[in-house]
Amino acid sequence: MVEGLLAPINLVIAALGAGFLLPLIARRSEGSAHALFWVTQLYLLLISGIWLLRLMNGAPAVEIITAGIQPPFAINLYFGLFEAFVVTAVNLSAILGGWYLLNYFRGRASAMSVYLILAMGISGMVMTRDLFNLFIFIEITALATYGLLALDKSPASLAAGFKYIIATSLASTFFLLGTMLLYYLTGTLNIDDMLLHLDRITGPIGLAASVLLLVGVIIELKPYPANGWGLDVYETVPAGVAAMISVGVSAGAFFALYKIVPLLADFLPVVAAVGGATFLASNFIGLRQRNVRRMLGYSSVAQIGLMTLALAVLNMLDKAEYVSLVVGGLFINHLLAKAGLFWLAGAVDRPGTEDWVGLRRKPLLLVLLGVLLAALAGFPPFPGFWAKWELIMQLSAGDLPFWVFAVLLGSLLEAAYLYRWFGFALRDAEQPPQVEKVGRLIPIGLFALSLLACGHLIANWLGLDAARVLVPVYMGILLYALDGMPGRLKAIVVLAAFAAYAYPVAMGLEGLHWLFGLILLLGGGVIAFAVLHRSDARKGFYPLLGMLLFSLVSLLDASTSLQFFFAWEILTLSSYLMISLGRGAKKHILTFLMFSLGSAFLIMAGFGFAYGETGSILLSDLSNVQTSATLVYTLLILGFLIKAGAAGLHIWLPGAYSEAEDDFSALLAAVVGKAAIFGMLLAGLHLAVNGAGAVDQVNYVVGWLGVITAFVGALMALFQEDVKKLLAYSSMGQVGYIITAIAISSQLGWVSAGYLTVNHLLFKGLLFLAVAGLVFRTGTRLMYKMGGLDKNMPMTFISVLIGIIAISGVPPLTGFGSKWLLLNALFDKGWYWQAGLAFFASAVAFLYLFRLIHTVFLGQRKTAHKDLREAPWLLLVPQILLIVAIMAFSVWPKLLIDPITTAIAGNFPEALIWEGTALKSRLGYWDGFMVINIVAGVFLVPLLILLFLSRFMRIQKVKQFNIVFAAERPATPETSHYAYNFYSFYEKAFGSFLKPRATAFWDGVSEWSNTIGSTLRVLYTGNGQTYALYVLFYVVMIYIAVGGMG
Amino acid sequence: MDLPVSTITLSTGLILLLIGMWGMLSQKNIIRMIIGFSLIDTGVHMIMVSIGYLSGGTAPIINEAVDRATALQNVVDPVPSALVLTAIVIGLGITAVMLAFAVQIHDKKKSLSIEDCTESKW
Repeated sequence: MVEGLLAPINLVIAALGAGFLLPLIARRSEGSAHALFWVTQLYLLLISGIWLLRLMNGAPAVEIITAGIQPPFAINLYFGLFEAFVVTAVNLSAILGGWYLLNYFRGRASAMSVYLILAMGISGMVMTRDLFNLFIFIEITALATYGLLALDKSPASLAAGFKYIIATSLASTFFLLGTMLLYYLTGTLNIDDMLLHLDRITGPIGLAASVLLLVGVIIELKPYPANGWGLDVYETVPAGVAAMISVGVSAGAFFALYKIVPLLADFLPVVAAVGGATFLASNFIGLRQRNVRRMLGYSSVAQIGLMTLALAVLNMLDKAEYVSLVVGGLFINHLLAKAGLFWLAGAVDRPGTEDWVGLRRKPLLLVLLGVLLAALAGFPPFPGFWAKWELIMQLSAGDLPFWVFAVLLGSLLEAAYLYRWFGFALRDAEQPPQVEKVGRLIPIGLFALSLLACGHLIANWLGLDAARVLVPVYMGILLYALDGMPGRLKAIVVLAAFAAYAYPVAMGLEGLHWLFGLILLLGGGVIAFAVLHRSDARKGFYPLLGMLLFSLVSLLDASTSLQFFFAWEILTLSSYLMISLGRGAKKHILTFLMFSLGSAFLIMAGFGFAYGETGSILLSDLSNVQTSATLVYTLLILGFLIKAGAAGLHIWLPGAYSEAEDDFSALLAAVVGKAAIFGMLLAGLHLAVNGAGAVDQVNYVVGWLGVITAFVGALMALFQEDVKKLLAYSSMGQVGYIITAIAISSQLGWVSAGYLTVNHLLFKGLLFLAVAGLVFRTGTRLMYKMGGLDKNMPMTFISVLIGIIAISGVPPLTGFGSKWLLLNALFDKGWYWQAGLAFFASAVAFLYLFRLIHTVFLGQRKTAHKDLREAPWLLLVPQILLIVAIMAFSVWPKLLIDPITTAIAGNFPEALIWEGTALKSRLGYWDGFMVINIVAGVFLVPLLILLFLSRFMRIQKVKQFNIVFAAERPATPETSHYAYNFYSFYEKAFGSFLKPRATAFWDGVSEWSNTIGSTLRVLYTGNGQTYALYVLFYVVMIYIAVGGMG
Repeated sequence: MDLPVSTITLSTGLILLLIGMWGMLSQKNIIRMIIGFSLIDTGVHMIMVSIGYLSGGTAPIINEAVDRATALQNVVDPVPSALVLTAIVIGLGITAVMLAFAVQIHDKKKSLSIEDCTESKW
C-alpha cells in the first residue's frame, strides 16, 4: 500500500488528477482547493525525495512500464538517481515558489491547477524514455507555462508571453518533425531502442532529423541570440513564475538534452559551441543591464549555456563520469541561487539595480543576497565552485585551452554585473528597500542554507574532509550568530579562536610553509590584535575577520591545488566584504573584486594546465610539469602578481588599502598581501627552482616588473596627500622589491625575498597601525591637516620614526639588511640595470617617508589638535611588539636570516655564510650587530656631548607661536599650507611618469566590454517576429555547422 | 504517371509548412501569425501521416484478410496515425492559448500588431 503510494509514476498521476480536480473543488470551497494544492505538492516532493534518498543509498533505479507492455512497444519511464535528483530539486522549487504566487492563486483555482501540471510536465520530461512522449511532456510544460505567463495581465507581460509562445511553439514543432523522421528511419520512438540502431540514422534525412531534434531542445534552453523572448518573460512576469521558468522548465529542457545527447554524438562540438557562445554573449550583454530581473535573466541564460557546454565537452572528451559533479553541481547551484534571487527580486520589488541602495540597513536581506550572489559567481563553498573547478580541470586536461579561457572570461563578466548590483546594495541610503512580509524570506533562506549544505556534501564526495576545509566559512557563520555581543568580547572570541585553531596547524608546518606560518599567522595575530582598540559593535566586521584569518590557516594547510584555491577564494571574498565596510570604499570594491577574481581565475587556469599535464592536483606535483611549465608558471605568477599589486595591475590597490577601515588596512597591507608572495614563492619553488621545465624568460620579465613596480609605487606615494594612500602606494613599491627578489631564483634572492617580506610585514603593519591611531584621533587622513603631533602622540611618533627608518634602508635598522641582500642578489645574478632602478626607487621612497614624518609630526600643530591624546593603548600594544621585533632583528639579523635560510634549504647552492655576527656573500659582508653599535656610537656620542654642553648654555624652549620658530601663518587656508603639494617641484619633473596610464588602460578594457555587450544586444529588438526568425535561422545555422551543406 | 497518395500528402504538408512560416514571419497582425502557426501545424501533421503510409497497404488490423506472417509488408504503419491524433490535440490547445493571448493583448493595447509588443528589449 505504502509502496504503491510512493511509486514514481504517481508524480504524473497525482499532479494530473489534482490538477483537474482543483477547479471543480474550488467551486464548492476555495479553502479545500488550496489544501488540495499544497497537499499534492507535498506529496510530489515526498515521493521524489524519498526515492532520491533510496537511490543514493544504492537502491536500483525504477523502470516504469505503462499499459503492461514492454518497451519499445509502449511508453516507458525511468527513474534513476539523476532523475530523482532533478525532480526533487524542481519539486522543491515549485513548492517554495508557490508561496510567492499566493496573491495570484487567490480566487483562481485554474492557476493552481496549471502550476501543478507544470511541475508534472517537468517531471515527465525528466523521466520519460520515449521521444514522442517527451514531445507530449514538453508541450504540457509549455502549455502550463503559457498559462502562468498570463497570470499578471500587464501589457508588457502579455506581450512577452506571446513572444515566448511563438518561439517555443516553433521549437516544439521542430522537435516533433525530428522525432517523426527518426521514427521513419529507426522504426522506434524509444530512445534506448534508437541507440541500438544508430547506424540507421544516416543520409540527408538522418541529418535533418537530428538537426530538427537538437534545435527543438536547444531553443528551449534559450541560446544566444534566439532567446530574446525568454529574457522578456524573465523581466515582466511575476517573480515566482520567472523563477519556475528559469530553474524548473530549463531543468526539464536540459534533462531532455542530456537524454538525446547520445543520439547526437557527431553534434557535440556544435552543442558545445552553442553553449559557450551563449555563456559568453549573455554575460557581455548582462554588463549593460540595469534592470534586476532582466539581468538575472541574462545570468540564467548564461548559466544554462555553461551547463550545455560542460555536458557536451565532457561527452566529447569521454569523461562522462564527471557529468554528475560538473553538470550536477552547476545545475543545483543555479537552481538554488537563481530561484532564490528571483524570489528576492520579487520580494524587494525594486526594478533597477541602483534602486537597491540602502539594503545594508536590512542585514538579513543583505546576507541572503550576498550568499546567493556568491554562489552564483562560483565562490566557495557553494556547489558552483566545485563544479567550475572540475570543469576547468577537465577542459585543461582535454587540451581545450580556448574553452578554459572562455569559461573564465564569462565567469568574470558575470561576477562584474552581479557584484555591481551588490555594490549598490552595500551603499547606504535614507530609504532602504522594504519587504512587506518577512515570512516570504523563509524559502530564500532555506535555499541559501541548501546551497551551503550541497557545497559541504560535494566537498565530502570529492574525498575532502569537508568539516576541515569549510572551517573558515563555518567560523564566519558562528561569529555572525554571535554578532549581537559587545564589540570587544567579539574581538577576544575571534582572536582566541584563531590562536587555538592556528597553533596546531602552525606547529606541523615546515620549510616555506613554516616561514609563512610565522608571517601570516603570527604576524596576522599580532596585527589583528589592534582590533581590540575599538569598543563599538562593528556589525559584520568580526565574522568576516574570523573568516579571513581562518582562511589564512587553510591556505597554509593546503596540500592540493584545490584546497589552496578554496582558501584563496575565501580569502578574496572575505577581504572584499571587509573592505566594503570602509566608509569611502564603495567605489573601489568592484575594482578590487574584479582584479581579485581575475587573479583567482588565472591561478585556477594555471593549476588546470598543470593538472592537464600531470593528472595530479598535489601542489608538490607542480614540479613534474614539463612541457607546459612556461604556461603554468606564467599564469600562476600573473595571478599572484595581480594580488601583489605589480605595476599596471595595481589599480585596485590604492583604493582598497586606503579606504578599508584603518585597523583592517594594516592587516590587508601587511598580512593579506603576503598571501600573494606565498603563492609566488610556492609557484617559484615547484616550477622555477625545482621544476622540470625552464621558465627563465618569465622570471626575467617578472624581475623587471618588480623593480618597475618599486619605482612607480614610490613615485606615486610621493604625491599623495592622503596618509593611507601614501602607505598604500608605499606597500606597492615595497612589494615590488619582493617580486624582483623572488624572480632572481637564487639562494640570495630568496633569502632577501623572505627577509623583505618579514620586514615589510613588520614596518608596514607598524605604520598602518600608527596611522590608524592618527586617523582615530584627528579624524582626517589628509597630512596637511595634521602637524606637530609629536608631543601629543609621542608613542605613535616613535612608531612612525622606527617604521620609516626600517623601510628606508639606511643603517642601522632591518631595512638596511633588505637592501644589502637584494643588491647582492641582483649583482650576483648580473641584473645591474635592475639594481640601479631599485636603488633609485629607494631614494624616492626616502622622500615620501621624510614627508610622512615631517608633515604629520613636526612643524606647526593645528589649534584644533591642541588637546589630542595618544592613540588608544590597545592600538599601541601591537605596535610595541612590532618595534621590539624590528629592533631585535636589527641587532641580531641572524635571528631572522637563519630561519629563512633553513626554510628554503636544499633548493639552492649556498651563497651565504655566517662568520660570527657577520653575513658573508660573494660580494662582501654585513655585520648587523656591528652596524648598530657603530650607529649607536655615532648618535650617542654627539648626544652626550650636547647634553654635557647644554649645562653651560642658556637654553630657551620655543613655543608654538614664537615668531622665530614659526615659519608659517597657522591661520591660512589648508591649500596655502607649505605641506600641501609638498613635492610639487618633483611633480613637474616626473609628471609624465604619473599619468594614470594603467587606469586609462583598464578603463578602456571596461568600456570595450560594455561596447561588446551593446553590440551583441542590438539583436534583441523586442519584436516577436524577429525572434521567430532567429529560431528559424538557428535551424539553418546548426544545419550548416554540422555539415549539411557539404 | 503513378503518384502515390503519400507523396501528395507529403508535398502538400511541406508546402503548408512553408506557407505557414512565411505567414508567421511576414504578417504583423497577431491573428494572422496564429493562422500561420496553424498552417505549420497542419503541414507537420500531414507529413507525419505520410511517413507511416504504405502505398497500396491495408488497414493495420490483423484478421483473416491479413496474413500474420506478411503483415509487416502489407499494412499501413498505425503508429504515426495514432501519434498525429495526439499532435492535433496539442496543436489545438496551443492555438487556443495563442488566441486567448491575442484577445488579452487586444483588450489592453487596442492593437493586434506584433510591432506594438516591444515593451521589453535589449
